[in-house]
Amino acid sequence: MLLLDYQNVLIESLLKDRFAGAAPINIDQIVSDFDNVTFHISTPETKTKILISIRVKCFPELVQYGAQAVLEREYGPYIVSPESGYDFSVQVDLEALPESQEEKDDLIRRISLLKRNAMAAPFEQAFDEFKALQEEASKYTSEQAPQGVQEGGEVRAIHYREAEAIFVKASHDRVTVIFSTIFSDETDRIFGKVFLQEFVDARRRAIQNAPQVLFRNDPPLELQGVPGIDASGSAKIGYITFVLFPRHLADQRREDVISHIQTFRDYFHYHIKASKAYIHSRMRRRTADFLQVLRRARPEAEEKERKTASGRTFKVQA
Amino acid sequence: MAPQTPAVVMDNGTGYSKLGFAGNDSPSFVFPTAIATKGPAGGSGGSGSGRPAVANKPSFLTGGAGQGGNLSGKRGTEDLDFFIGDEALAASAGPGYGIHYPIRHGQVENWDHMERFWSNSIFKYLRVEPEDHYFLLTEPPLNPPENREATAEIMFESFNVAGLYIAVQAVLALAASWTSSKVQDRSLTGTVIDSGEGVTHVIPVAEGYVIASSIKSVPIAGRDITYFVQSLLRDRGEPDSSLKTAERIKEEFCYVSPDIVKEFARFDREPDRFVKHTVTQPNGRAVTVDVGYERFLAPEIFFNPEIYSSDFLTPLPNIVDTVIQSSPIDVRRGLYKNIVLSGGSTLYKDFGRRLQRDIKHMVEGRIKASEVRSGGAKSGGLDVQVITHKRQRHGPWFGGSLLGQTPEFRSYCHTKAEYDEIGPSIVRRFALLGGPGSS
Amino acid sequence: MSQSLRPYLQCVRSSLTAALSLSNFASQTSERHNVPEIEAASSPELLLNPLTVSRNENEKVFIEPSVNSVRISIKIKQADEIEHILVHKFTRFLTQRAEHFFILRRKPVKGYDISFLVTNFHTEDMLKHKLVDFIIQFMEEVDKEISEMKLFLNARARFVAESFLTPVSFESTLFADGSHEIVRLIGQSLEWLRKSWHYDIATSLHAMPCHFMTMAIYC
Repeated sequence: MLLLDYQNVLIESLLKDRFAGAAPINIDQIVSDFDNVTFHISTPETKTKILISIRVKCFPELVQYGAQAVLEREYGPYIVSPESGYDFSVQVDLEALPESQEEKDDLIRRISLLKRNAMAAPFEQAFDEFKALQEEASKYTSEQAPQGVQEGGEVRAIHYREAEAIFVKASHDRVTVIFSTIFSDETDRIFGKVFLQEFVDARRRAIQNAPQVLFRNDPPLELQGVPGIDASGSAKIGYITFVLFPRHLADQRREDVISHIQTFRDYFHYHIKASKAYIHSRMRRRTADFLQVLRRARPEAEEKERKTASGRTFKVQA
Repeated sequence: MAPQTPAVVMDNGTGYSKLGFAGNDSPSFVFPTAIATKGPAGGSGGSGSGRPAVANKPSFLTGGAGQGGNLSGKRGTEDLDFFIGDEALAASAGPGYGIHYPIRHGQVENWDHMERFWSNSIFKYLRVEPEDHYFLLTEPPLNPPENREATAEIMFESFNVAGLYIAVQAVLALAASWTSSKVQDRSLTGTVIDSGEGVTHVIPVAEGYVIASSIKSVPIAGRDITYFVQSLLRDRGEPDSSLKTAERIKEEFCYVSPDIVKEFARFDREPDRFVKHTVTQPNGRAVTVDVGYERFLAPEIFFNPEIYSSDFLTPLPNIVDTVIQSSPIDVRRGLYKNIVLSGGSTLYKDFGRRLQRDIKHMVEGRIKASEVRSGGAKSGGLDVQVITHKRQRHGPWFGGSLLGQTPEFRSYCHTKAEYDEIGPSIVRRFALLGGPGSS
Repeated sequence: MSQSLRPYLQCVRSSLTAALSLSNFASQTSERHNVPEIEAASSPELLLNPLTVSRNENEKVFIEPSVNSVRISIKIKQADEIEHILVHKFTRFLTQRAEHFFILRRKPVKGYDISFLVTNFHTEDMLKHKLVDFIIQFMEEVDKEISEMKLFLNARARFVAESFLTPVSFESTLFADGSHEIVRLIGQSLEWLRKSWHYDIATSLHAMPCHFMTMAIYC
């Protein structure tokens, strides 16, 4: 597996089974997703009504950035009032499904992307703001542009994990997405550094169209004045900046770019772990080789065949 | 963290892996413990020599050293190219992939494959950041401590899990039985009969500790029942006698009868006991298979193995009795009183009832004999109870889920910090979860 | 093998072979004990002069002989923090399995990365020159392994970075509609024009429709 999926596999497979006509049963599952997101899938009333609730740590922030509107657009008629303890709920009635298979598939897809959509709001808002600013800026030459247009809008912070956050900032010629991430482990930190260096270099070397990536241990300039930023410059914290240029922000790309960039942190940590796993398997193999060399140092025990009285032979085991 | 993240419970068995989150009543994912990797299958041949294609140094070496810095190609990424679970089975049917089963007889054989299996389980299926979650894994009884250490090494060093607890499956199966109404006190003493696909174990557990010296295994389990059903179908010349059909029949129609002779007579009296099973063959044709005596004969091989096997002849109740008799005398009473079933092959209707009756019969016979021998002394009797409950199928997983959601679970785990301090040997000992004093 | 490595390993080999003349020696301090004197270090007269073979400050071998045991400690080359962490991981992995490596010490001597302890019991039931072979081979391979792992890590990092940045989603929208196909077509049509009419490339470029030209420049 190279890239992480955007959707939640459990919700997807569960709905697929149900939609395909599997006998409705009682469901009551609380499952996690990346980034401290918790889902609760249940059938509180009848077996045919599946209620899916989501809890996101930073939901108040997301609402502030327009999550409600995004979710309403995506789930419109399925929205029900949120279950207690959760931030947002949708309910699907198996007896009132859309007719065609495509519509069903689309519904499955949309619901399994619940987390993605909830988190998408700040990005969408920033992308919209970028467009507005771009239009605004096109009226001026670069020198005359008023301060607001040059500087760009506010920084949208999403504190989606305990000590890590995403910051999104729009300006007239780009959208900047900054991830702050923490390496709990020394090995991870060093591996992470190697990986990030390659992220930074990738654009220069191979993929000119890619967004620009910057990496540093102290907060970048964009985050100046944003509250709650650890400016100690400690090596454990990294700030990774993605600069999305207009071509990444075009309407037809927007959906994918948002889904994709959301997975960055987990993708990144997943691959650090996967390479550790690979290095483990190398070490296992190497250790086996060394053992073989060492075993050669033992003089071969001569295998003496012995005979019993009845004439059968057997080997003496060392 | 205001609400704690639920613990991840993973029960990797020989046949199936059960993955999910603590607090749920069923695992989120159940799929075969199989991994399909690029290259020919190594699993079918010698499992020990089945070296993974990844670790094959030369391929990477030439790629790495030969081409210098320009490695942007697909080189050295074979280790990401694999599938697990049902996808693995599907992939191995096509060209290019070989299937491997990293666990054999309950124990991990190929750590490379297992590590990648876990990696995919965590990131693709469960979708969790292991740093945020505590993990509860299971191990079979008699798992060597080295295997535990290797597990911990992978979990802590590769995945940086926040905390780890490794529990013995049998103990978890006991904990799972607490949901049964028959269980009054939540003790961790009892005999676990764990019958899965490959093998059946009878494991005595006293106060949460497995009595290793008394464990017995029976070479009759789910697969044998399927084979037996299949052979019966073949003998009768049914239109479809594939393994798959046999398995379906086994799962849908089989039950345990109290007395096979009477059951035969009953079948002859009530013809509606014979049922028909419709199979849709791969070519789209539907055929009907008659299902007859195998309905009760198949599970009977636990109680009368001679009808199936010629080299293993001891019925399951006798084995259970022997196991308990060979355990320390002071726990025997508890072991008889709490015989817990676990695993898919114990789900047949009335399996528990029959087992209880047979064991009771044996025990009472012995008591009577000793009463006669002692000349007049009266025994207080011995309570034999076989516990069947709703969570039997994924017993160990459910037990894990139950214990994993208790508030004190985390204090029983070894954390990453402790691991870094002490090293893998730390997992040789775990405080007993769910033992006396807790919950 | 680089120029300086060979004499270095040769030197370690001869020193080791010389140091590995061990004999059974019962402890002088406690009765019925037989301990590796180099570890016990209770009687100075049983210890021989330790010796360091050094290739440079980052790579050296420390040999401490005694009457019944020899301790060999190796410092493995670590050029940067990646190599450092890899060496650390690898040696830790090995010492974790010390039981299987009869002569591996569970803890390295201070200042070194990995230590071996060879006692007279080892030399008695294993071939001495093969033991030396093992140590030498270990030294050779460990360096190779570390640099391979580092190469792997870099390659993997590059691959991972590029795969994250290239998927469809980040590709330029200008060319989202199969631009590569167009580029190939341009190439083909040029070739075809050149062949059929013996035009040279410059002329054929003029013959190309205008927007194809722009495409070609963009690409």
